[in-house]
Amino acid sequence: MTEIETRLAAELTRRRFLQGSALTGFAAFVAACGTSGSGSAAPTEPAATAGASEGPTTSEPAPAQSPSTELNFANWPLYIDTDDDDPSKHKTLEDFTARYGTVVNYSEVINANDEFFGTIRPALEGDQDTGWDIVVLTDWMAARLIRLGWAETFDLANMPNKVTNMQDVYKGVDFDPTDDHHAPWQSGMTGLGYDREVTGDLTSLEAFWTADPRWSGKVTFLNEMRDCIGLTMIRSGKDPSLATVADLDEAIAACQKAVDDGIVRAFTGNEYAEDLVSGNVVLAMAWSGDVIAKQAEKESLVWQLPDEGGMLWTDNMLIPKGAAHKYTAELMIDFVYDPAIAAQIAAWVNYVTPVKGAKEILAETDPDLADSPLIFPPADVLAKVKIFKSLSEEEETEFNDKFSALLGD
Amino acid sequence: MTASTAVAPHQRPVTDRLIRFIDRNVLYVYTGFAILYLMLPVAVMALFSVNDPPGKSNLTWHGFSIDAWLNPFGVPQLFDVVRTSVLVAFISTIAATALGTLIALALVRYGFRGAGATNVLIFLPMATPEIVLGASLLTLFVAIGEPPFFPTSFLTILIAHIMFNISYVVVTVRARLYGFDRHLEEAAMDLGANEWTTFWKVTFPMILPGIMAAALLAFSLSIDDYVITSFTSGRTSTFPIFIWGSARVGVPVQVNVIGTAFFLIAVGFVALTTILQSRARRPLPPPAPDAARAEPESGRAALAEVEA
Amino acid sequence: MGARHWLNRLTPYLLLAPGILWLLVFYAYPSIQMFISSFWSGTLETGFSVSLDNWTTYPDALQRYGPQFGRSIVYGAAATTICFLIAYPLAYTIAFRGGRYKSLLLFMVIAPFFTSFLLRTQSWKIILGDDGILFGPLKDLGLLGPDFRVLATPTAVVAGIAYNFLPFMTLPIYVSLEKIDTRLVEAAKDLYAGPWRPGGSLAGGLVGGLVAGGLATAFQYEVAPLAILGVVSGLLIGALFLSESFIRIVLPLSLPGVFAGSLLTFIPAMGDFVNAELLGNTQTRMIGNVIQSRFLENNDYPTAAALSFMLMAGILVAVAIYARLLGTKELTSS
Repeated sequence: MTEIETRLAAELTRRRFLQGSALTGFAAFVAACGTSGSGSAAPTEPAATAGASEGPTTSEPAPAQSPSTELNFANWPLYIDTDDDDPSKHKTLEDFTARYGTVVNYSEVINANDEFFGTIRPALEGDQDTGWDIVVLTDWMAARLIRLGWAETFDLANMPNKVTNMQDVYKGVDFDPTDDHHAPWQSGMTGLGYDREVTGDLTSLEAFWTADPRWSGKVTFLNEMRDCIGLTMIRSGKDPSLATVADLDEAIAACQKAVDDGIVRAFTGNEYAEDLVSGNVVLAMAWSGDVIAKQAEKESLVWQLPDEGGMLWTDNMLIPKGAAHKYTAELMIDFVYDPAIAAQIAAWVNYVTPVKGAKEILAETDPDLADSPLIFPPADVLAKVKIFKSLSEEEETEFNDKFSALLGD
Repeated sequence: MTASTAVAPHQRPVTDRLIRFIDRNVLYVYTGFAILYLMLPVAVMALFSVNDPPGKSNLTWHGFSIDAWLNPFGVPQLFDVVRTSVLVAFISTIAATALGTLIALALVRYGFRGAGATNVLIFLPMATPEIVLGASLLTLFVAIGEPPFFPTSFLTILIAHIMFNISYVVVTVRARLYGFDRHLEEAAMDLGANEWTTFWKVTFPMILPGIMAAALLAFSLSIDDYVITSFTSGRTSTFPIFIWGSARVGVPVQVNVIGTAFFLIAVGFVALTTILQSRARRPLPPPAPDAARAEPESGRAALAEVEA
Repeated sequence: MGARHWLNRLTPYLLLAPGILWLLVFYAYPSIQMFISSFWSGTLETGFSVSLDNWTTYPDALQRYGPQFGRSIVYGAAATTICFLIAYPLAYTIAFRGGRYKSLLLFMVIAPFFTSFLLRTQSWKIILGDDGILFGPLKDLGLLGPDFRVLATPTAVVAGIAYNFLPFMTLPIYVSLEKIDTRLVEAAKDLYAGPWRPGGSLAGGLVGGLVAGGLATAFQYEVAPLAILGVVSGLLIGALFLSESFIRIVLPLSLPGVFAGSLLTFIPAMGDFVNAELLGNTQTRMIGNVIQSRFLENNDYPTAAALSFMLMAGILVAVAIYARLLGTKELTSS
């Protein structure tokens, strides 16, 4: 063996390893001393005081604001009207540009609340600009953002449309009593999504717990805790808007039973839509708009609100703290609350619009859509859907923890 | 092993021939199947790049269409993410190859204190799960908290890629350096070259294949990285991140097109270099009679013969 | 003379400096920070604080996620075994029977790497679809029951992992085999000669039975039929290929490559989560999935960091054992 080889053969001996770890230890010491406050408490600015300080008591005129040249808008996929031939064109955004001159950088990067939150959390913790001016998050994540003080307060003077046209059912929610930190984008319902050709017509949540050979083993539940546990609770006659820990435990046990019985194939996010099309899955806990969208690819797909009831959830626009183009973001939010624009979006997205007056406008151009109970649910449908209880931080941690055990995470 | 050696071969012709026949051919057949198995997903990917699905899902075959090939960047953002991926891969490859080669040279050529620790430090990133690498880098960027490291962006992706590529470059180049015969360097120096010249004219060309292999490895690792990039990218998207996101709602056909294109380009590149290399190895014409003394060219000719 | 001498002494450090600095700043330091964060307690909203008392995070995490850890080890080991079984004959053929086509064959082994592994895994999802190209026709012919599926089972995940790392196993084995002097093999054949290989077939049958049985138990298939299948195929392969010259000469000489390849396969296989995510389901969650969800979805940084370090520690222990067994030269030069 050459000299080099002998030396190398000795490399990973214990002595060398100790040397290495000594160096590491020293570095650790330096690191511990020098660690800045990445573990420091997050700012606890409550939403209420922020709202109060916005009161127009100053006598100075507000500085004149003009729309910025660009706006960064993060959203979920398939959530805004899109040109059928060119997926990068969205008429609503083009209308906005035509009116204000702002170029909208629209990115469909949000696939799951937690995942997306993970990407913006570091910036928010560090008091930095996340790079987004508008983000769209589901109720509970919006609640968390607001609770942490990471959502900008709206200047409602810039949003006359929103103030006037927001449906009453959304007003005064417990996580934003003053309605100036979030603006609903779309609402949706969770229910049964299935392939009629394979399963026949299904109307009851009981299907998820029945080991029918037509669908057993080809069923997916949602990995969104509130939807999955919510539906399970409805099936056993409980009310998700009053969920307690005992209810949670019972629901988890029920889900586990469905898994053990071999009915449930997987817990998924919106991947179930693809699987419904490919036939790997024939029954899923599904979001209304998703299934409607996939009907173009597989006509036998059906979305059905269960007899026992379903879940209602809302995705909300928020302006993250430190956003570079706050004023323009407010203009955008207000823009989509114009009934004409809302109708335009609703016609394509097929989810429940929060804007008053959109239905009437749509009725003129497309009466079938205007009558769809999925986009404009009538009172009897709304009576059957439940909104999951707004959880405190401890509750949320406990609920999430137990639910992840179910998911194997 | 036992009785058969004592038996004369011609007493068992059939089984003997049969076994030899199988012996010869089974392995080839097996290799054929193995290669097919390796290529199958690639073929499926290419096949589905000429699919014509009615909607977003590209999971079942619907019919032949080259629309996607004609409009490969028709999906919004696809061009940006591909460009980002290629740029990151390119830059990080150059940087990592440079840094890694230097380390490899130091480790193999020189004795110094801390060689063991250095080896451990080089080896550890390869043993660390990518998820840990990504998460810890993100923690670092957050702790620093200042631009340009923060918010995470193109630069942070670049940093991450260079980081994990260095180890692979070191290992690859080092393997090549081990087999390197130092006598050639000594010969060159005997002939009058100084260290610098020796390095560039003798050592470097000979380890170049190793460096190129390392660069190729680094490039492929970088362009295909998902896990580490997902932690350190923030708002910026690379091609793998785009694929992951779109896998939820339906991978557009154009993504398959880009994937197949990458594959074909890589194959073409390797084919090209192989052809060029085999050309370079053709025996050189015999040197002119008086030029054989102490000239670099003849040294190179000798080297070329040794190499071949 | 003096200056030259110092320059010489300094050169290695100069060469090392940029790269090592990069690694120290962007690998070592963040790793230490991660380690520290495993001793955090608190939540996102109330803030985190460090305390040595939080060492309990480690045993807690281990207890809660023991199954996933175990699964990662089992899947990793299974995938490595399968990789070995597929790769060894492949490497052998290329090394000994490749001739002119060695480089081409090697290239074809590596070629799949030139495409995104996400796309390749997605392709497997298409191929292994319940009614897809592979199983659809089989089901139509009645060879498979209508409920048969591979996706969302451990089989798909292990198959995916094995596929992804096949080149990692093949190349080191090839490198070792290639170095073997064929004259040794010929000499051995002269010594041991004989076309009929009873010893080899016994060995093959035994190994085949064990491997098949092991895999079947691990993945809860019917052990008996699979074990019999393993024994039979082992016997056949053994009879045909496991000659004494092979077992006594080629195999031992190729062991360094086998170990290197196994290491290169097992380590990333254990930490993988993409295959489990795309091809598996809740019951196939591996420790990588857990770490990802703990970090990104539950913001449970202490547990995520603790799990990461335990994973790393486990891998390093395994590597250290390998290193002692076979000597470090092969390890560091792989």
